[in-house]
Amino acid sequence: MEPVRDVHATLVDLLDRILDKGLVINADVIISVAGIPLIGVNLRAALAGMETMLKYGVMQAWDEKTRAWERERREIGEVPLLEGEEVNFKIFGSYYYSKGIYTAWRSGYIYLTTKRLLLWNREFDDVVFQIDLEKIKAILINQEDLLTKEKKDVLYIVDQDNRVSRLLSTKIDRLKEGIEQSLKAMGLSLEENPVLPAFEKGPISFLMEGEKVTNRGKVWHLPDGGGILGNTWKPGYLYLTNKRLCWWYGFEGRLAFQIPIEEISAAIKERRDLSPVLKDKKVLDVIYNANGTRAVSSFSGKEIEIDEWEKVLNRVIVKGNEAEEKEREACPQCGYSAPVKELLEIGCSKCGWVSARLKRKLVKTPAK
Amino acid sequence: MTEARYLYCIANGSEQITFGNIGIENNEVYTIPYKDLCAVVHNCPPEPYESEDKEKIKSWIVAHEKVVETAWTRFGTVLPLGFDTIIKSDQDRNAEDNIKKWIKDDYENLKQKLDKLRDKAEFGVQVFWNPKIMGKRLTETNEEIAKLSQDIKSKSRGLAYMYKQKLENLLKKQMEVESERYFKDFYEQIKRWVDEIKVEKTKKSDEGKQMLMNLSCLLSKEKSKVLGEELEKINNREGLFVRFTGPWPPYSFA
Repeated sequence: MEPVRDVHATLVDLLDRILDKGLVINADVIISVAGIPLIGVNLRAALAGMETMLKYGVMQAWDEKTRAWERERREIGEVPLLEGEEVNFKIFGSYYYSKGIYTAWRSGYIYLTTKRLLLWNREFDDVVFQIDLEKIKAILINQEDLLTKEKKDVLYIVDQDNRVSRLLSTKIDRLKEGIEQSLKAMGLSLEENPVLPAFEKGPISFLMEGEKVTNRGKVWHLPDGGGILGNTWKPGYLYLTNKRLCWWYGFEGRLAFQIPIEEISAAIKERRDLSPVLKDKKVLDVIYNANGTRAVSSFSGKEIEIDEWEKVLNRVIVKGNEAEEKEREACPQCGYSAPVKELLEIGCSKCGWVSARLKRKLVKTPAK
Repeated sequence: MTEARYLYCIANGSEQITFGNIGIENNEVYTIPYKDLCAVVHNCPPEPYESEDKEKIKSWIVAHEKVVETAWTRFGTVLPLGFDTIIKSDQDRNAEDNIKKWIKDDYENLKQKLDKLRDKAEFGVQVFWNPKIMGKRLTETNEEIAKLSQDIKSKSRGLAYMYKQKLENLLKKQMEVESERYFKDFYEQIKRWVDEIKVEKTKKSDEGKQMLMNLSCLLSKEKSKVLGEELEKINNREGLFVRFTGPWPPYSFA
């Protein structure tokens, strides 16, 4: 790409430079009209062929923020430590960042300090990941197939909410040792062989940010439409989280079934013959909404567990129904939360917003 | 009547030479040396050049730039001044002596600045995006936005209206996030190929294009080829457009 220098094509660029830039002379021998631009703003716009001036819109605010950011980053140098915090170990590595649409391994320096384990990216001065040492429940190294088709050792940090963070580094075992020693020295203990192997490998990859498991168990699953085509009950693990009901099929190493909890409409217990051999077993039929139609997935397992699942799921369903009744929405203008009915029929009591339709109605029947 | 001096730039040069009548209003441009530095000037009345006539102003601007570039070619490195920098005469000294005194007082600083700028030029880099294309891409890739888009289809008219508002707000917010991300990414990329960067205000652009970043970069002409290649890569990406201008005299780095 060649730089453009044509006078006609670059008049605006020239104006920006000649009118706003150049060496600043701090001498009182200059003739100046203090503060008043010598070429009026409108005239300048006309010169550049623009009809209007800079529009104050979304880009303006961002603009100032960005310039402030640029100014700030020139002064950055060091990892932000807390008061009294010291670094015990430092190693280059990356963290699997999966918030929203931006998912990637973000690299930086991993610091094991007297208080935390964190990953700091110097370029953006961003603490990409951090966890208080006391909140670490367990750590383990697991081999994963990464994008490049290589097998890499990944360090899993399990916190007290059973959420897992993944870290990569060339000297991963040294990091693990370091963490173990630090925790030992602090008098904290780690769980040996944390939870079930399947649990680790499963949710580790499918749990989303902010998602917590509220119920789990070993459960057999018969998908919608199964049974008719033959016995396709499969063994696996069922998880209820604050967002979804999902079932992990260990044999294929993936989530074979998942639905958002809002889509569950019923959970019904029944006794059925699962196969010519498995007679009179307790089954839980979960009825849900899939793409606008009703579907059923069945689960089976230990009786007590099925009973428990029925209770748990029904609790979730009831909560969902209650929520719908009193469905609230945020006012599009001020964000104030109010019942949908109220917003549409009366308007927002906080900022006075009314829907366009309501406005038209009001215009037609003016107040007396 | 013409006791003041219109100042174009400062250069590394010790001779008193003339460039002929290339200045504003066809005035004769010449140098006022002090030691090994010199000021490039023309004689003018002690008042700024102002006008309502935009064609006149345009000719002044173009003339100013032409003089700076001529001096640049002649002397190798220049410290350009902005338009309408005029040094006056007063009781103590005439304008010429005022200029010499100023150069004398600021000598070290001026030398250093000229050193820094040796063999370098300023280049403008602007990156734009097509908000429609980007918005569409977000609706496809952002889970929250995509879901909301879908949900709207199944809602009653009243609810759908409010959801649409919500969707617009969400989209606008996410576009800002995206634009910030692009800015940071490109800034880091471009930084590698230049000696210095100044972040400028973005400007309003024509329909269909929105300026994401406006940079002034200082680098040598050789390096500008490599920069050009990097910018080509960004320009080739869908929905993105790069404007690369220069070489300029280093107004932004003086």
